[in-house]
Amino acid sequence: MFRAALRSLGQHRVRLLLTLLAVVVGVAFVAGTFIFTDSLKQSFDALFNAPQPDVTVSADSAFSAGGQGGGPGSGADQTPTVPSSLLANVTAVDGVASAHGMVTATGALVLGKDGKPVGRAGPPARAMSWLPDQSMSSLSLAAGQAPNGPGQVALLDSTATSAGVGIGDTVRLETPGGQLTSTVTGLVTRGIGGSDGGTLTVFDLPTAQKQMLGNTTTFTSIAVKASPGVSQAELANRLAPALPGHLKIETGAQRSADIANRLQTAFGFINTFLLAFALIALFVAIFLIFNTFSMLVAQRTRELALLRAVGASRSQVRQSVLVEAAVLGLIAAGIGVLGGIAVSQGLRGLLKVFGADLPAAPLVIQPRTIVVSLILGIGVTLISAYVPARRAASVPPVAAMRDDVSMPAKNLRIRGIIGAVLIVIAVLSALSATRDLSNNMRATQLVGVSAICALIGAIALAPILGRWFIGLCGMPIRGNAIGNLAVENGRRNPRRTAATASALAIGLALMSAIGVLAASTKASVAAVVDDTIGADFIVLGANFQPFRPDVFAAVKNTPGASTVTYTRQIPLAVGDDQGVLTGIQSGQFQQVFNLTMDSGTADNLLPGDAIVDSDTAKRLGISLGQNVPVDYVSGPGFLILRGTYKPAGPITGWISDVQTLTDAGGRDLDSAIYVRSAEGADPTTVKASLDKELAAFPAVKLQDQASLKDQINQQFDRVFGFIYALLALAVIVAFLGIVNTLALSVFERRREVGLLRAVGTSRGQIRRMVVIESVLIALFGALIGLSLGLIYGTLFRKVLESVGISKLAIPTGQIVWFVVLAVLGGIIAALWPAFTASRLDVLKAIASN
Amino acid sequence: MIAARANSLSKIYGDGDTRVTALDAVDVEIGAQQFTAIMGPSGSGKSTLMHCLAGLDSVTSGQVWIADTELSSLSDKALTRLRRDSVGFVFQAFNLVPTLTAIENITLPMDIAGRKPDPDWLNTVIDTVGLRDRLSHRPSELSGGQQQRVACARALASRPTIVFADEPTGNLDSKSGAEVLGFLRRSVDEFQQTIVMVTHDPNAASYADRVLFLADGRVVDEMFNPTSASVLERMKAFDTARA
Ligand SMILES: Nc1ncnc2c1ncn2[C@@H]1O[C@H](COP(=O)(O)OP(=O)(O)OP(=O)(O)O)[C@@H](O)[C@H]1O
Ligand SMILES: [Mg+2]
Repeated sequence: MFRAALRSLGQHRVRLLLTLLAVVVGVAFVAGTFIFTDSLKQSFDALFNAPQPDVTVSADSAFSAGGQGGGPGSGADQTPTVPSSLLANVTAVDGVASAHGMVTATGALVLGKDGKPVGRAGPPARAMSWLPDQSMSSLSLAAGQAPNGPGQVALLDSTATSAGVGIGDTVRLETPGGQLTSTVTGLVTRGIGGSDGGTLTVFDLPTAQKQMLGNTTTFTSIAVKASPGVSQAELANRLAPALPGHLKIETGAQRSADIANRLQTAFGFINTFLLAFALIALFVAIFLIFNTFSMLVAQRTRELALLRAVGASRSQVRQSVLVEAAVLGLIAAGIGVLGGIAVSQGLRGLLKVFGADLPAAPLVIQPRTIVVSLILGIGVTLISAYVPARRAASVPPVAAMRDDVSMPAKNLRIRGIIGAVLIVIAVLSALSATRDLSNNMRATQLVGVSAICALIGAIALAPILGRWFIGLCGMPIRGNAIGNLAVENGRRNPRRTAATASALAIGLALMSAIGVLAASTKASVAAVVDDTIGADFIVLGANFQPFRPDVFAAVKNTPGASTVTYTRQIPLAVGDDQGVLTGIQSGQFQQVFNLTMDSGTADNLLPGDAIVDSDTAKRLGISLGQNVPVDYVSGPGFLILRGTYKPAGPITGWISDVQTLTDAGGRDLDSAIYVRSAEGADPTTVKASLDKELAAFPAVKLQDQASLKDQINQQFDRVFGFIYALLALAVIVAFLGIVNTLALSVFERRREVGLLRAVGTSRGQIRRMVVIESVLIALFGALIGLSLGLIYGTLFRKVLESVGISKLAIPTGQIVWFVVLAVLGGIIAALWPAFTASRLDVLKAIASN
Repeated sequence: MIAARANSLSKIYGDGDTRVTALDAVDVEIGAQQFTAIMGPSGSGKSTLMHCLAGLDSVTSGQVWIADTELSSLSDKALTRLRRDSVGFVFQAFNLVPTLTAIENITLPMDIAGRKPDPDWLNTVIDTVGLRDRLSHRPSELSGGQQQRVACARALASRPTIVFADEPTGNLDSKSGAEVLGFLRRSVDEFQQTIVMVTHDPNAASYADRVLFLADGRVVDEMFNPTSASVLERMKAFDTARA
């Protein structure tokens, strides 16, 4: 029995390989995610051994060093500092071998030959001070000399490459302290964990202080080296009493653990996402394997019956099929693990693109990875082959004697009932979700439940729907003999057609649902920009970095600009709730920005007064007039709540007068400048004048409403593009499923094809027959997938309305594209099976035995 | 009038050790409007001859004509068109497309060609095979004999130059077989069709006008106006020759 099973595997190699592919993809993503994570952990270990200070002293704050990350309108940047006078206190402590002040900050743009900042939008442009003690420095010189003096700079090697400069060349730098022209004295590489794909400039300490912090009396941190025999923890303990209480004293080990944790949290998200995708691929795989085995069993009915007739028991027949499946699963899992290595490398590359450059580390393939891969691969295959195996076992021995061998077609009624019940549940939960949208969580969950029920329900009903749909779709081509044959072929085995189409439907459902959400998000953002921004032009920092106030002066004096106002931002926290405080110039702001107040007023905000969006107010449970304790980077403070506004657009969170920010230690750096043209001024002329004025400031970009929308859209597009790419893979696998089904169908019907050829059907007609069948299956899959996708995209948009997706947009063009691609995919999927069918040997096909 | 002709037709399968001469320089002429039966021991080349005559298989050497068309020079396209328009087939089994109804199976060659069947002729054929009440049935809903009658109707529906039938009654009981044979006979007598039928059954051969006997890839004998008895007698001679 075992040998028979293996031999039958060998007979359908190509088709089985196609079947395997779906399992391979799924397993590869699971294994790849594991390998990637495990390897990552390995490189974290290296973190702990890298050169670093034994203890780092920095300002304690709720905010991570280096400022808040960028996002539309979040130009909040404020680097926590410690006074340089503390260096003496530190050095005086017993057990300190040496101590150095350090500066690490963002906002130093390296200008290329064209005067534009180099590097991608996204990761920050960092600056650091050079730490002479190499045993504590994460930086090391790859070539040249350390920078020394205001006219010198060292660059990260990759930064130098993008700027097109080498040692000895001069380079222009745009820093918060003004523009510099410096000589490149050295190229540096950096150690582990600090790398994020952005640019890096290295100054000597005084230059870094002046350019990045605007003074020479503060550092961002102090790096401390322990005397021989003093442990890191011991040193930290000794430092504590000598320093003011609010400082953070962190050992090297703690810092490493901290970085490792942060990275792991960040990757945790990616892992979850990839695992979810892997599950989708495996789910699709179930359909393909089910189909393949059903067909293999159907083809071998006579052989199986013969086995039964000569005395094989039911369970032996069943086992022979399951053994076949298990071997297949084993092979798939094996290839999948290898594929996983490729996936993990791909992830590494991807992270590089997205900014995180990880140190090279050996691949870690833990036994767990292999065990999980095997269980998944074999498990999925066995589950999918179980029903076909049972059906194989139910072949009666007499089937060996019959000519017209066909499996007894099981009634579809039970499937129909299950499907109908699930659809009813789906409709009910969707209704209940939309009736009460106030509880966001509950509504989202209900729609989720509804979506899953609808998907499974649709899959259960697919054989019934399929017969009907393909019949209907085939109406126009029924008049034609070939069309009629193709339609009948599509209808003759509803389960098979349904399983093939379902695989495609799953991918397309997800893609179109995401399409609706993406389009709606963009439309909502566009609407918010339209509704809230009254300004004609907005000046924003490159990468949303804050920029120098002389930009404002230049813009203000531009002819044709009437209202010009700037905003500043600093991070703030209310309890655990981290956010941004935007400072506005009172009086001016309301002319370029339409905030709709839910309560209170935004007029006449005095220093210390603030308004906040209603969501945050609700979340924090604060009310008008309340004195709200907040934390700034510089320390604790208070804000008095004067009003709440409808959350909208680029401005969210806390808003106060600019003076409030200055009082809280905010620097004189602007996050945005809003410009309204003078009455009657021609916008293109104004834009040209602004462009001219701003040419001297490469760190900023002039945006109008359209380009602002574009820029925001691009950010969404990148995220959605990534999701589409992964889902597209699932769709491609589904098309391979169509290839597989058609190939097996052609093989199964080879006698019939031979007959058609004998009575005069041309090769071209045979090909057309297979292609039409394929297109019908693809269209059916597209219909189910796109309907579900559109319905649930719309429903999810509805429940997500309160988080800002206020507008529903159906991406009609995209949906049409999906249909066109489904048809094209159907045609392409049919090419090989159609070719095989048209080349069948007529005589062999009709030979009666 | 000659409907089909073979001129020193040879067909050799394989080479070296596995070389089999299925047809050895066969010369035959199939008269138009005649019912010709081909008989011979198993493996004598009956099916091969029929396939070569019908343009289903290529020949190793020699020539084949259907009416005035010489087949060896034809492309696959032209051969396909010839089979569609000038040749009818009835095989021993699996004659029908399972997804099509009886009537759709009957008109299949014309549907493929995109031609309308001649309604009068179609009615005549349907009435002759006696399947009018079964036309909308699928093959799986028809008995073996009914299926073969549908196949016969399909072979005749396009009024081909010649109809080839390879053991059309091989799977049928004697009553159903007689129905099919009777129908073939009538189509020659009443509708001037040309039929070539391979059979093992002397009784089936007795329906023919002429019987060709094949042995080891050669035509060894022929007989006009055969009866079951005379055919049986001749067949016995093969057995003795072989013994
Ligand atoms: N495709 C093939 N490859 C090799 N040899 C073949 C092939 N087809 C037929 N033959 C051989 O050619 C010879 C004639 O075969 P053919 O099928 O014509 O015999 P037949 O007279 O129809 O026999 P039967 O009465 O059993 O149907 C046989 O020896 C057969 O083994
Ligand atoms: Mg034969």
